[in-house]
Formats: sequence, C-alpha cells, structure tokens
Amino acid sequence: MTQTNEYTKPLPLITGLSKIFWDGCKENKLLYQECKDCGEVIFFPKMFCTNCMSQNLGWKESKGKGKIHTFTVTYDMAPPEFMPHVPYALAIIALDEGFRFMSNIVECDFDKISCDMPVEVVFERATDEITLPKFRPTNGN
Amino acid sequence: MSTIRGKAAIVGIGEVPTGMYPDRSFIDAAISVSADAIKDAGINKNDIDTVIPIGVVANSLDNANMVCSWVVEELGLGSVAKSNFQLMSGGSSSANALKVATALVTTGLSKAVLVVHSDRMGTGLDLNAAITMFAKASISQEYEAPFGFSQLALAGMLQQRYMYDTGTTERQIASVVESLRKWAMLNPNAMMKKERSADEVVDSPMLSSPVRKRMMNILADGAAAFIVTTKERADDMTDTPAYILGMGSRCTNFTVTAQPTNIIKAWGPAAKEAYEMASVGPKDIGVAELYDAFPTFILISMEILDLCKRGEAGKFVEDGHTSPGGKLPVSTNGAMMAQGHTGAGGGVAILVEAARQIMGKAGERQVKDVKYVVETASGGVGMDFHVGILGREV
Repeated sequence: MTQTNEYTKPLPLITGLSKIFWDGCKENKLLYQECKDCGEVIFFPKMFCTNCMSQNLGWKESKGKGKIHTFTVTYDMAPPEFMPHVPYALAIIALDEGFRFMSNIVECDFDKISCDMPVEVVFERATDEITLPKFRPTNGN
Repeated sequence: MSTIRGKAAIVGIGEVPTGMYPDRSFIDAAISVSADAIKDAGINKNDIDTVIPIGVVANSLDNANMVCSWVVEELGLGSVAKSNFQLMSGGSSSANALKVATALVTTGLSKAVLVVHSDRMGTGLDLNAAITMFAKASISQEYEAPFGFSQLALAGMLQQRYMYDTGTTERQIASVVESLRKWAMLNPNAMMKKERSADEVVDSPMLSSPVRKRMMNILADGAAAFIVTTKERADDMTDTPAYILGMGSRCTNFTVTAQPTNIIKAWGPAAKEAYEMASVGPKDIGVAELYDAFPTFILISMEILDLCKRGEAGKFVEDGHTSPGGKLPVSTNGAMMAQGHTGAGGGVAILVEAARQIMGKAGERQVKDVKYVVETASGGVGMDFHVGILGREV
C-alpha cells in the first residue's frame, strides 16, 4: 500500500494498554473503559480505576456520538508535521457516555463549527496499523 | 490549625532584562540575579543554606548543571549550603518554589532559601525546536499526539470556550494585550515596550482561532531570583519585606483533554484557601500579578480570584481598570505577553513583580499604597492553579 509510506503526521505511541484502544479503532470501534467494581467511566485508558483503584476494568464500545466541548482551527504556527495540512480543526469532544476525546473535526465548513455542536465519529485509515477516530457534524447539523 | 501566615517573607529580588541577549551567558544571568537578590535583601550570603534552581527548558546541559549545584559553587556557598535541588513544575514553578521555601524556613530546616531561574528561550532555542517542544510536552503520546495539538491550539481552545460561555468579545480579549503593553512601557526589564492597541491586535492574522498573532507571547532570554527567610530574620535585615500571608493551590490534570470542564469551579478553592489564610478578601487587593502565557488566562484568573464577576473581566479590562492609573492594576511587569516568555520563568517574573510592588521598588510603575498583592501561576496545559498573597504588614 503506497499510502502507508506517505503518512507523515505523528502516529500514536502503542503500549500494551493503548494497543487495545487502537486495535478497536482498526475495527471501527471507539473503545473506553468502565470499572466493573464502581462503574466509573475511564478515559484515557488506565491500569487502575481513577475512582476506587480497582484493576477490574472492562472495555466498552462507545456509540461515537457527542458534542464539541471546545475547538480551534489552526491556520499557522502548527507543529511542523501539520504545517502542510493547515487549516485543520482540533477539538475536544464530550462523548455521550461521559468521557472526552481529542480529535479533528472533518467533513464540514470550519466557519460553521461551534461549541456544543453535535458530532459523530468517523474512522480514517492512516496506515495499515493505525486508524484514527475523527468527528463530523451529526446529520442534520 | 496553625498556618504559615506572616511567618516568612521575600526579602530580596533580582532580575535582568528579558529579551534577546545572545552575548549574555546562561550562568552569568543566573549569578547576577542571585547577587542582586542578596544585595537587595541585605543578607550575608553565607546565611543562604538552600538553593532551589528552577528547571531550564532551552538547554538540557544547563539544566543538568543547575541540578548539580552550579549556583552553590559560583556563589561560594560550599561551606554553608545544606541542599541544592531543582524545582520544576513548568509555569507554576514559582509558586511551588515559594511553597517549599516557606516550609523550609518556617520549620527551621533552612535559614534562608535562594530561588533562581535563568533560561535562554529567545537565543538559545531555535524556532523549529521551540515549535516541536511546545507541541510535544504535556500531551498524551498515546491518544492526543496524532491530531495536531500545540500550546497555541491550547490557547485557541481555551479562548473559544471562554468566549462561548461568557459572551466576552474578541476586542475585550485584545484589550488585555493593550493593558499589558502599557505596563511594559514602564518596565525597564520588559521586552515589548511599544504601545499596542486592542484594534491592532484584532486586525492581526488569525493563527489558531480565535487566537490572533498579536495575542501570542514571544520567547525570550531572562533570569530572576528571590530570597525567602523567616519573619524574624526578615525584620532584622530589611525595611521592606514582602510577607507571605497566604497560599492555595489545586493540581488537576496532565492533559487538556482531562482538564476539568469548569476550571473556575475546580480551581476556585485555591483562591479561597489563599484568601482565608491571609485573612483578606478580593476587595483588599491593591495589585493583581496574574500569570498569563496568553490573554484569556488573565481574564479567567480574575474570575477565579473573584476580582470580577463571571464573564465581566473582559469589559473591566476594556474599560481601562487594569492599566496604569486604573483601579485594579493587573500584571504590572507586562506579564509574558509583554515582558517575554522565558520558559518556566514567567511565573518567577510575576512573583518577583508582586514582591517588588509590596517592597515599593517598582519605579515608574509603582502602585501607590499597596498593602496586599495577589499573584498566580499555572503550569503545563493548565494543569494546576496557584494563588499567593503577599503583604506589607503582618
């Protein structure tokens, strides 16, 4: 696949824990953790529950819907690997399940993005190994 | 509960001009500000038994050498010093150093503590390295790195949500820059000493919405130092101690994704604790030396400190109340937006300025009859918030 060699932006660091999340993305699943002892929703993925320190954590699949907590459209002074790709929209998304995720907002007019706008996940293949969850405005918005 | 209220003081301060100084060596700057602080305090240098160098960002070897007691040797403290250790929490290093120094002297573990910062972010760090650093530190490599986050994007996201929540206008945020520049024009150690109107800021190119070019700080070389000792020693050695009356802090997160949604609520207790410890309230504050990095953070800090009601800080600044001659001077050194961004030194500079105003040594920008100054600091992507209150009397 030629595209594999062409991807020049940073890829996520794969660790024992993050591999589970990124393997999920490869199957177009946005995974998060939930503590089986106290019910705490946990993200970014952790070894211990941030509420009760339990290690009895399970993975759940998010429906991938949420709202934009905040965002910025970067036009200049981006990190070097992102300079060829300006402008791009970066956002923190509050997922309906109660966790937050940083990603890009795609498939929309950047001037129409606003805080609290409903968005949904869309998976973009970066390399053979990595698929990135990005977000677009939910249909009808 | 016993508190540290009034039991320690900043007795001496030193600072070199902030800006582009390629011929000023790292260590010369560090030692000259230390010597200035010693002279200013009127302390016998051999009474300094603890040296706390603040982390150096631009050069890892300078940083390592500061860790390894460089300042102790240069100042000839080898026969009296008990400890040299680095303190580093990014932008909040000033506040954490003040906390540690205060604890050391009030418990009797140290007689006097020298806190010193030097860095060469202006001429010791190239632009690409700077961008890389400000785009890689304090972010999750596993989950955030692929999406193009940077400290500039952080400023954009913070300002975006603040404007959405409060209705604050772009011009009001730009007014913060105007106010800081007016102060910097009175500060011989500031880098940006040219007037800058809010309109000029609003007319500058968009970098990362809604942050425009002239809402950015500029990296600079700089150094500053301060000395902390007990009230008793302070009263013996100087007529102008800046008593440490209260401090409060909260440390909430590593990544911006995990930052509390409502930072005013999450960090509010830091302000409440500091006010309560100092037995003063927002109305008693004569000068607010607020940490910036970017202008919106000053507005948010004013609201956390209850100096303005929620959403009213922007209008307050636009109306001129924080500028020279205003009813609540804010960040009278010009803060990082106008004095310059020296790595972990922005907080040190603002703390030194707070002490300077209490000591009555702020020259042309001295605010009259200052009894209490509140000062703040924050590190990382907004990982913590620290509030300190200094006073002229206990």
